[in-house]
Amino acid sequence: MTSRSVLLEFAAKTLYWLMLAVSAWILLRGHNAPGGGFIAGLVAVAATALVAIVHGVDQARRRLPLRPLYLAVTGVLLALLSGMPGVWADAPFLTHQWWSVEFADTSLKLSTVILFDLGVYGAVWGAFASYLFALLDEGGAAA
Amino acid sequence: MSQDHDPAPASRRDWLWLALVPLGLFAGLIGAMLTVPLPWQMQLEWVPSLDTGLDWHVDALSAQFLVLITGIGTMVFIYASGYMAHDPAAGRFYAVLLMFMVAMIGAVSADHMLVLFVCWELTSLTSFFLVGFKHSDEQARASARQAMFITIGGGLALLAGLILLAQIAGSWSLQAVVASGPVLREDPRLPAALVLVFIGCFTKSAQFPFHFWLPNAMTAPTPASAYLHSATMVKLGIYLLARLDPAFNDLLLWEVSLIGVGTITAVWAAVLALRERDLKRILARSTVSALGTLVLLIGLPNDQAALAVIAFLFAHALYKAPLFFVAGNIDHATGTRSIDHLMGLRRQMPFTTVAAVIAGLSMAGLPLSFGYLAKDVVTAAKADTELLAVVSYGLLFVNAVAVAVAAVAAIRVFWGPATPAFEKVREVSWRMLLPPLLIAFIGLEFEFFPTLTDPLLPDAAQVIAPGADIGGLVAGHTFGTALTAAEVTLAVGLVLFLFWERLHRYVSGLARLDRYGPAAIFERLLKGIPRVAAWHTRALQHGDLPGYMRRTLMVLLLLALGGWLVGEPNWSSLWSVLWTSSEQAWALAGAAILIIAGAVAGPFLHDRLSLLMAIGLVGYGSAILFLFAGAPDVAFTQFMVETVLVVVAAAVLARYGEPSRYAEPRLFNAAVAIAAGIATFILLAHLFSLPAEPFLAEWYAANSLPEAHGRNVVNVILVDFRALDTFGEIAVVAFSALAAWPLLRKMRNRGAAK
Repeated sequence: MTSRSVLLEFAAKTLYWLMLAVSAWILLRGHNAPGGGFIAGLVAVAATALVAIVHGVDQARRRLPLRPLYLAVTGVLLALLSGMPGVWADAPFLTHQWWSVEFADTSLKLSTVILFDLGVYGAVWGAFASYLFALLDEGGAAA
Repeated sequence: MSQDHDPAPASRRDWLWLALVPLGLFAGLIGAMLTVPLPWQMQLEWVPSLDTGLDWHVDALSAQFLVLITGIGTMVFIYASGYMAHDPAAGRFYAVLLMFMVAMIGAVSADHMLVLFVCWELTSLTSFFLVGFKHSDEQARASARQAMFITIGGGLALLAGLILLAQIAGSWSLQAVVASGPVLREDPRLPAALVLVFIGCFTKSAQFPFHFWLPNAMTAPTPASAYLHSATMVKLGIYLLARLDPAFNDLLLWEVSLIGVGTITAVWAAVLALRERDLKRILARSTVSALGTLVLLIGLPNDQAALAVIAFLFAHALYKAPLFFVAGNIDHATGTRSIDHLMGLRRQMPFTTVAAVIAGLSMAGLPLSFGYLAKDVVTAAKADTELLAVVSYGLLFVNAVAVAVAAVAAIRVFWGPATPAFEKVREVSWRMLLPPLLIAFIGLEFEFFPTLTDPLLPDAAQVIAPGADIGGLVAGHTFGTALTAAEVTLAVGLVLFLFWERLHRYVSGLARLDRYGPAAIFERLLKGIPRVAAWHTRALQHGDLPGYMRRTLMVLLLLALGGWLVGEPNWSSLWSVLWTSSEQAWALAGAAILIIAGAVAGPFLHDRLSLLMAIGLVGYGSAILFLFAGAPDVAFTQFMVETVLVVVAAAVLARYGEPSRYAEPRLFNAAVAIAAGIATFILLAHLFSLPAEPFLAEWYAANSLPEAHGRNVVNVILVDFRALDTFGEIAVVAFSALAAWPLLRKMRNRGAAK
């Protein structure tokens, strides 16, 4: 980068974690309100893009949980995995299963749906991040 | 393939023991036939949800084929162990040959028509591998491709025909189709089904106009030619026709097609045999001629013809396979198959000569041969029907050429003056002598004791003509007309043999055949495919993105035009959706202004970055539109997509420098875009005139919470109701990244190199 903005550089790292937190929130609320894995994944992509543009691709890659292509493939595998409990329960593939864990006076609902949405999230984040890095990176190996 | 690079260990391996496989099958088959009465049936579950099972039904007709497949197969394996002894790729050859044998056994034993089809295509596929076995040879590759296109393409027609037959008969079972024959004739779809089955059988059995692939397939190693392209695979078409014959044999379409095509093939192939100089190709032409005769015989309506089919089929395998072995021996010993050079070989190759003479006698239908018996039955069968005289004369000619071909293979190359070039030629090993001698002797044996064939052949004929009174071969052995016909045939055949050279000069002078024959037409069609593909790719896949957009929008305009012509726009409904309240109307208007501003600015902006901003305006405007049109999830997604796109594109554009400016027809583009926009709007109005089907929307809304525990219907559809679709989509996203990554990397490397 030829021109640098100190303010942006300072803000980018904080903003990154903030945006990831927001994306996690969007991911979790998706079942009952606007949101979900795809949108949350896009927010995460935006966060990665921010760091990549301001601090460079290497910094952005270091902040990903996995290398981008691995992240994308892991997402797809996670979604595949979320369909298996349905098969084991003698229902068609991807029939989601629900369990509820009882606490004192509230119950926590657990489901394979969240696994599936997490898979969507990872696939979107990883795939678009790898596009991003390939386009922005000028040398060295990307994914 | 890898054995090509590693010849040493493979070439020393002796594969003779492999002949134990077909031999064991043959022995087991004979043993079972002696102890367990036919037919044998077996059903195994395969794909129950498609009503497809591994259903087998072996009756006498199948058993006859099984005897040929395993019996001749044993001899082929023994022969190949000598013929392929020094070929480094022998392992590959045996693997394919075994695969073929299994597929062939499956094809003649299958009762379920889909199982038959799968095995049928497997035989075509293995045939392709064997024809192209010497894949370093250009000619072999071309022949293999031709054989594959014709037989596998015909196989697809067969599949369509079988599916139709199954629908008409209401069963996938071949037995059931044959049994319900009279009922099927009422169905108007039957002619189409039969024609498709004909195409499948005629391509497989090399009938006119698909006959040309078989002589070209002679690039295969000789054991494969003897096995696939003479004794077994090319008779699959005959097998299926014979199997279906009881259901349809008095149908006019059936009779006319089979008799017509069979006669043309038999006569034409006989003429073409005169054009060849290569011993194997001469034999192949005569095989085609024999296959034509078989098709003709199946088409004949009388019962005696059934026995003739079976007898001739058996006899043909018993004399043609040895003749191919003989041709292979000659090729192996002298290095040539051209009858121009071959003569006087009887001194060097006495055993091969004996085999050739016996098999040749059989082929010529001389007394003392099984072929004689079979030909006798054939002639008797034809004499029985008051058929067109042309067909009879045609067959007289065909048989005469068969006599001449037999004489060429058995006399011409072995007698005559010794050639100094062949003085050092030595007889081949026992592995290549035993098979032709043994098979030819078995053929001879059946002449002296024709009742030996009685347990099998009449039963098989009974399958083709159920309810008919079929005696044994001896009973069908009628003298009188048959004998005179045989004498005439023999005389004409000998004349043809004596004048072979002169005839050859005359027939090979017909250069037009090379230019306008079916083979030439086929090759021209084949060459046309890449030409059409190249033209079509240049016209449609030119790589110019605005060009793609233009064309897409113009197609949209055409579709809209069609919509206007048939439909009635419903403006009031569209209006009521747009104007539910004044606040919403204002919001929509605001969004529309953003979109229009972005779109109008586009054609006037030349700077990439500003253009990107204009596009962003369109995107955000659309997002606002969705937000107020009751689709918050879509709006949310649109906002995110737009943001990521604009940010990333801006960052990338800055790095890739100035655009290369080339003249875009901007005004024309703008006109197309505006027209497409207006057309879409009018189409929407048309859409509102269609009755809305609220069922799905109501079902999702009602079931989202109780069934999937979610209040956001859109997301519930995405992750639960239609989760498989979503799964497919994210898989596509991930795969696109996997595929794009090396491309982008390559592009970047090229940029760095500059």
